Amino acid sequence: MQNHEESGASCEFEDWGNFGDEDIMNQQSEIRAEEAQKVPFVADKFQKRCGAVPEPLSALASEYQSGSPILLEKIKMLGEQYAAIRRTRGDGNCFFRSFMFSYLEYILESQDRAEVDRVKANVEECRKTLQSLGYADFTFEDFFALIVVTIIFSKFVIDLSLASELAFLGSYSLGSWKAFFKEMNPPLGVEISQYLTMVSEFINLNASFCIHILSPDTFGWSVVMFFRFVASGEIRKRSEFFEPFVLGLTNATVEQFCKSSVEPMGEESDHVHITALSDALSVPIRVVYLDRSSCDTAGVSVNHHDFIPSGNLPKAASGSTEVISPFITLLYRPGHYDILYPK
Amino acid sequence: MSTPARKRLMRDFKRLQQDPPAGISGAPQDNNIMLWNAVIFGPDDTPWDGGTFKLTLQFMEDYPNKPPTVRFVSRMFHPNIYADGSICLDILQNQWSPIYDVAAILTSIQSLLCDPNPNSPANSEAARMFSENKREYNRRVREIVEQSWTAD
Repeated sequence: MQNHEESGASCEFEDWGNFGDEDIMNQQSEIRAEEAQKVPFVADKFQKRCGAVPEPLSALASEYQSGSPILLEKIKMLGEQYAAIRRTRGDGNCFFRSFMFSYLEYILESQDRAEVDRVKANVEECRKTLQSLGYADFTFEDFFALIVVTIIFSKFVIDLSLASELAFLGSYSLGSWKAFFKEMNPPLGVEISQYLTMVSEFINLNASFCIHILSPDTFGWSVVMFFRFVASGEIRKRSEFFEPFVLGLTNATVEQFCKSSVEPMGEESDHVHITALSDALSVPIRVVYLDRSSCDTAGVSVNHHDFIPSGNLPKAASGSTEVISPFITLLYRPGHYDILYPK
Repeated sequence: MSTPARKRLMRDFKRLQQDPPAGISGAPQDNNIMLWNAVIFGPDDTPWDGGTFKLTLQFMEDYPNKPPTVRFVSRMFHPNIYADGSICLDILQNQWSPIYDVAAILTSIQSLLCDPNPNSPANSEAARMFSENKREYNRRVREIVEQSWTAD
């Protein structure tokens, strides 16, 4: 090949050029997108959509019917503790999306106003972290503003429902909503109409509200991106702590790891991302592992790991011996996270 | 009409004007903030020294969630630049993040000039020459630098 005449060689290289890296990458991402689209961003628990509903755990079992007996045994054991699973799209962002969905549900169901204030303060801390790390404000401010408004909005919704004024929500006129959101000073790029839709969704069900926030037409992408910024900021801020874990995954530096595996959309999450997000926002997360490992001689058991943030937790003050229960439970199968609902 | 992408691009532009990185300039076209022209100067003390390379950046409404399409308008000879001027650079493809603004994109491309990645060749001739015959490679680069002065 190296002895080809100039013209012949360049012709051959032209062909090679036509199958460049870009094409391979595009093809790869197309295949990935096509596969991912078979599952909605977050499956609706209450409606059948794309065949993906929050299914009872038996649905999970049928998936493995002809598969490993260890997995089937584990699913059976999961069924003793968990009622349902909600699937999320496997596009590399599933951890962050599952987290947001589950966390919003947690806030709305627990109606914990203090938690809302707490997370708001933590989000503010994360913003300062990014600033101190030298990120340009304008590259992340929209994402932060969006989350803050969403949090404030959740609190507002809690207030209304606490006051048993849920019915009143529906009768609230368009003009009053507009005035309300104007006062809240929504961030750039968030249309008031999007919130109005969210409100009407909420009137139906909390879950629809959460789904709406995560839908790509609303700001699903921005939400994922926000968490990526938060996780990256936390990892860089405490790079000495995270360095050994990063080295366990790849031989990149902490800085390179953040640039290549945390900040870009669609990069899958690992325990480093989860630890960082849980610590940064002080939200305890449980991850239940469904894989083929069978740990000890005593037979099959389902492993889980609790990510308990080191920072200030709301309930830590009331008693140091108190066991902190996770706000969020995710099911991990190699390469993917879904949401689990305890019984 | 003002959209999140356009608002963000205004801020990108402001930053580029107030705090321009060395050897880089860029601005939206008069009537279209979604289409930018840019110039990257070849870094000093390298074969690229003195070159003025023109590019276009086409943004979509999904910016900054998705990267812009960046292309060299000037003729290039570089392992990671295709014949049509498009660029093989990770941050413009699968490693994109909204953390990059126009200044950061152009700076990355500028450093790609002197620091090619021969493992993902877009121009195999340039890639081969870069690793096997640096002298000839540098000569071809100098040619491109000279062409960059005369092109429209």
